[in-house]
Amino acid sequence: MQITGRVLDRGQGRVEGEAVVFEVPFSFIGDFDPASGKVSMSGHPLFGRSLKDKILVIPTSRGGTIAPYIAYYAKKNKVSPAAILCNIADTITLECALTIDIPILDNFTEDITKVLLTGDKLEINTDTGLVEVSR
Amino acid sequence: MYLTKYEQEMAQGKYGPGLQKAINILIRYGKACGAERLVEITSAHVMPKEPPELLSQFTEGIEELPVTTTTHPLMSAFNPEKWEAMGIPADFAAAELAEHEERQKIHGDLGFIKCYSCLPMHLGNLPQKGDYISWIGSCAQILGNSLIGAKTNKDGTIVNLCSALTGRALYHGLLLDENRYAKVVIKLAEDIRLETDDDYGALGYYVGGHVIIGNVVFDGIPKSATFDQLKYLIAPVATSGSVHICHVTGITPEAPTVEAALGGKEPEDIVIVTRQDLEKTKNIFRYDPDQPVDLVIIGCPHVTVQEARRIAKILKDKKIAEGKRLWLGLSDATCTIVRAMGDAGIIEEAGGVFSNTCQATIPDSPLPENVQVVMTNSFKGAHYINSLQQGKVRVMISSLEECLKALNLQEAQVK
Repeated sequence: MQITGRVLDRGQGRVEGEAVVFEVPFSFIGDFDPASGKVSMSGHPLFGRSLKDKILVIPTSRGGTIAPYIAYYAKKNKVSPAAILCNIADTITLECALTIDIPILDNFTEDITKVLLTGDKLEINTDTGLVEVSR
Repeated sequence: MYLTKYEQEMAQGKYGPGLQKAINILIRYGKACGAERLVEITSAHVMPKEPPELLSQFTEGIEELPVTTTTHPLMSAFNPEKWEAMGIPADFAAAELAEHEERQKIHGDLGFIKCYSCLPMHLGNLPQKGDYISWIGSCAQILGNSLIGAKTNKDGTIVNLCSALTGRALYHGLLLDENRYAKVVIKLAEDIRLETDDDYGALGYYVGGHVIIGNVVFDGIPKSATFDQLKYLIAPVATSGSVHICHVTGITPEAPTVEAALGGKEPEDIVIVTRQDLEKTKNIFRYDPDQPVDLVIIGCPHVTVQEARRIAKILKDKKIAEGKRLWLGLSDATCTIVRAMGDAGIIEEAGGVFSNTCQATIPDSPLPENVQVVMTNSFKGAHYINSLQQGKVRVMISSLEECLKALNLQEAQVK
C-alpha cells in the first residue's frame, strides 16, 4: 500500500521505521516520558510502548507550549521518534519536529490513524511525501 | 518566503552559528505555515526552561539580545531558593538545580531580564499598541494581545526562543489584523454582580469554555475594573477554550466600541451570560466550608503589589493554623516592593511563603505529602492544578478573603 501526504518539513530526509498509531491526540508533554522514550498515557493500550526510532502516527496534538523542549530531551537521551505523520499537524507538533530535525507530514488523502496499524513498516520519501506501507 | 538581505546573511551563518540555527528554524517553520515573510519584533518574553545544551548551541556567537526580553516564571512550583520552606523533597531539588544554574549563566551573559513573571508588562517589558512581539505563556499572550493591543502568536518554546534571539517573528496568524477582530459578543444579564476575583474569574472561565474558538468582545464590564479584576477575567478565557483575544469595550485598545472590535462585521454569535451561568461555573470547583483546607495558593496569574496589600491587611497579627500552608506566586521585583511596604513581613510572620514560580503547574514539582485539599481564588490555577494532579487532590475556589479564612487564622502571640 502507498499513501501520500504533504511534507511540512523534511528533517534529515528519507526515513523508514515501524509505525506506532494513536487514535487520540498526542502530546510530548504528559503522554510521553523523555527519559525512557515510552508512552505514559495512563490506561491507553500503547502505555509503556517505546517511541524510539518509531514513526509516530497521530490525528493531531493536544498542544503544550513546552513540548519542543521535551522532544529535545528525548533526542538527547537517544529515545526520540524518527518521523511524525499527522492527519492535521498543529504548530506545536511542527515545532517539536523542527527541534529534533525529523520529517513531519500531514494532510493525507485518507485518515492515517485508520489505514495504518501499529507495527506496519513505513518508508517515507521526504521529497514527494510518498509513504510505502508493508505489513 | 521573502527574506531581507540581513535575514539571508543570518541564515547563511554570517553572524555566527547560534543565529544561523535560530533563523533557520523560523524559516522552516514559516514555510510550513505559509508565512510570506518575517517581521521585526520590539519585545520578547521567554520560558526559562531551555535544555541547557540547546540554549548554548542556539546562543553561540550572540553577545546581546536584540530586543527587550523577559523571563516567564519557572513552570513548576519548584523555587531554587525556597524549595525547603515550601516542603519540596530534596532529591527533586538536586536534579533541577544543576540545569537551572547552567541556564542562569547564559541568560545573564546575554541580557535576558530575569523577572520570572507571567506579567512582564509590570516588569519593564511594556510594548505599544500595534507592536509585533513574541511572548510565551497563555496569560501573558492573551493579556498582551488584549489589554495592550500588541500582537503575538501563541508560539511554542522553540519558535519563541528563536524570535527572541533573532528579533524576528513570522508574519502570520494573530499578527494579521483580520485575525484579531472579535467574532462573538459577550453581554451580561442584568442579574449579574461582579464583585470578587472569583466572580470575574467565573465569567472568563465560562466564556472560554462556551465560545471554544475565535476572539470575543466583552460588552458591559465596568470602566472601574482594576488590573487585577481584568487579569482574573481574561486569563481563564484562554484556559477553558481556545479564545486568543479578549477585547473589553471601552477598556482594551482595539475595542473603543463593539463595532470596532468586530471590525465592522456582524457578530457570529451573541452570548448573554446570566448569574446562574456563573453559579454553575463556580460549582465545578465548589467551595465547601466544612472541608478542611491544607494549602491555599494565590498567584495565578502572579500576585500584584495591590493584591499583596489586601492579603497583608487580612493576615496582620494573625497566624495560619498549624499544618496548613499558604503559597503566594509573585515576581522577586514585586516582592521587593511588597517588602519595602512592610506587607511581606506581615505575610511571612503569619506563615505565608512567597515564590517567583508558576502556581498553576505545581504538579511538575511534588506537593508536600499531607496536601489533599487545595484552595485558590483563580479559575486558571484551579483548572491546571485539578487536571495535572489527576484527581490526587481536591481543588476548591472562592474569593481571596474566603481562601485566607480557610487557613483558620489565629491571633498571633503578643510579643
